[in-house]
Amino acid sequence: MSPPADALAPHALQQIPTLLRGEAAPIQSWIAKWSAARLGLYVAVILAGTAMFGAAVGSWRDPVQGIYTAIKFPLIVLLTTLGNGLLNGMLAPLLGTNISFRQSLVAILMSFTIAALVLGACSPLICFIIWNTPVLSAKTASSATTHSFILLTVVTVIALAGIAANVRLLQLLRQLNGSRSNARRTLFAWLAGNLLLGSQVSWILRPFIGSPSLPIQFLRDDPLRGNFFESVFRALQRLFS
Amino acid sequence: MNDVTISPSVPPTLSNALPPTVPLGEHPDDRLPITGPVSAIEAILRQPRRALYQLRATGARSVIASLFLVFVICALVYGVVVGTFSGGAQLWVAPAKIATGMLVSALICLPSLYIFSCLSGSQARLIEVVGLVSGLLGLTTILLIGFAPVAWVFSQSTSSVAVMGGLHLMFWTIATCFGWRFLRNGFAHLSAKSGGTLNVWIIIFVLVCMQMTTALRPIIGTSDRLLPAEKKFFLSHWLDTWKENTSVQRGTGTQR
Repeated sequence: MSPPADALAPHALQQIPTLLRGEAAPIQSWIAKWSAARLGLYVAVILAGTAMFGAAVGSWRDPVQGIYTAIKFPLIVLLTTLGNGLLNGMLAPLLGTNISFRQSLVAILMSFTIAALVLGACSPLICFIIWNTPVLSAKTASSATTHSFILLTVVTVIALAGIAANVRLLQLLRQLNGSRSNARRTLFAWLAGNLLLGSQVSWILRPFIGSPSLPIQFLRDDPLRGNFFESVFRALQRLFS
Repeated sequence: MNDVTISPSVPPTLSNALPPTVPLGEHPDDRLPITGPVSAIEAILRQPRRALYQLRATGARSVIASLFLVFVICALVYGVVVGTFSGGAQLWVAPAKIATGMLVSALICLPSLYIFSCLSGSQARLIEVVGLVSGLLGLTTILLIGFAPVAWVFSQSTSSVAVMGGLHLMFWTIATCFGWRFLRNGFAHLSAKSGGTLNVWIIIFVLVCMQMTTALRPIIGTSDRLLPAEKKFFLSHWLDTWKENTSVQRGTGTQR
């Protein structure tokens, strides 16, 4: 018989299914009690899940691109979490969720851990889709459509991972402050900040798939030009035109 | 005078007639062990609660092995029936592709099933999820064996790859629905609170299997190559096959 979830060692992998299920009592005890080992577990899962997903996405262009993207996806999550850590820690009590900076950091890392698990679990599916699409090449007439299809599939999987993670985060915030409206306000404020910073960090760290007409690079020569939302809009235009 | 009243004999309640709220193991039939492939087939067809209970018991690995063996044998046998349409090398190529394709599709979708089941609130461990997937594959291929005589009769009376493809697809879809019902009942007994994520998963699994049939083509027809050189989306491949079939029929005006 397995031990209760809140009695597990902080680094134990068995607590991951508990996190996914959103079991209130153990998760609240983990939030209340700071543990560097548990934080390390969350970071390790984020690194593994997002790296697997990144490798799957980038491998369509080239195996080297797969390695670059496997490095960059975890960087997006960790840079966004750390970059917004102070802001998120300040917004929470202002919006009615009375938790400390550390607790807000742990809560956000928990939600990113759930997202990373969904991304990692979907990485075999992405590999399969990419295996079934023609090699990304400037010569194929349909490569722009195929590129847009892959891009939108990736965005859809990321959106699903985000939805799952944020549903659990909302449940956790409700349990922490007892008020639905405060929990919703806090979540939306965190989401807005993370979306803004995260989308621009992901734009700066491009390419993730890359274009066949451009060389394989870790970062583009002009990483600060343009933004994420422009790119998605152009992909939608190409797919439906 | 005798006061004996003859009460009508009431047959015992079948375990699979029990509502899903009754915990597994409550009925004595649930606890009958599954000792090999034959009892696995019997359990999965007639006593699914027994199969579900044994997948959670200490001997789950042997039950999974039995279900896996049933899946492999039934997939290979059905593949031979599929291969009889073209004959020749397809008699071994079709079974190999069908068994491998279904297995690889399940492996591709397994991690997402475990994560989605946890998100739905299920208490299933990874080994139990593997067991449920092996049950899904086993039940699907057992039912395909049931369709095999029908498929064979049609394959001997038509030369149309498109028609045979549609027929096999229909049989596979019906069989997968029953397999899906087994999986869904399994997760219901494992405290899954929401069926939404699991419904998303079955759609993904079906799409992956359909794409796999295109990735491993030809399964029904013939080719000089074992695997295709060109990568295609499955809907595009089906449309091209149907157009080719229609133009051949217009050209010859006859069927075998």
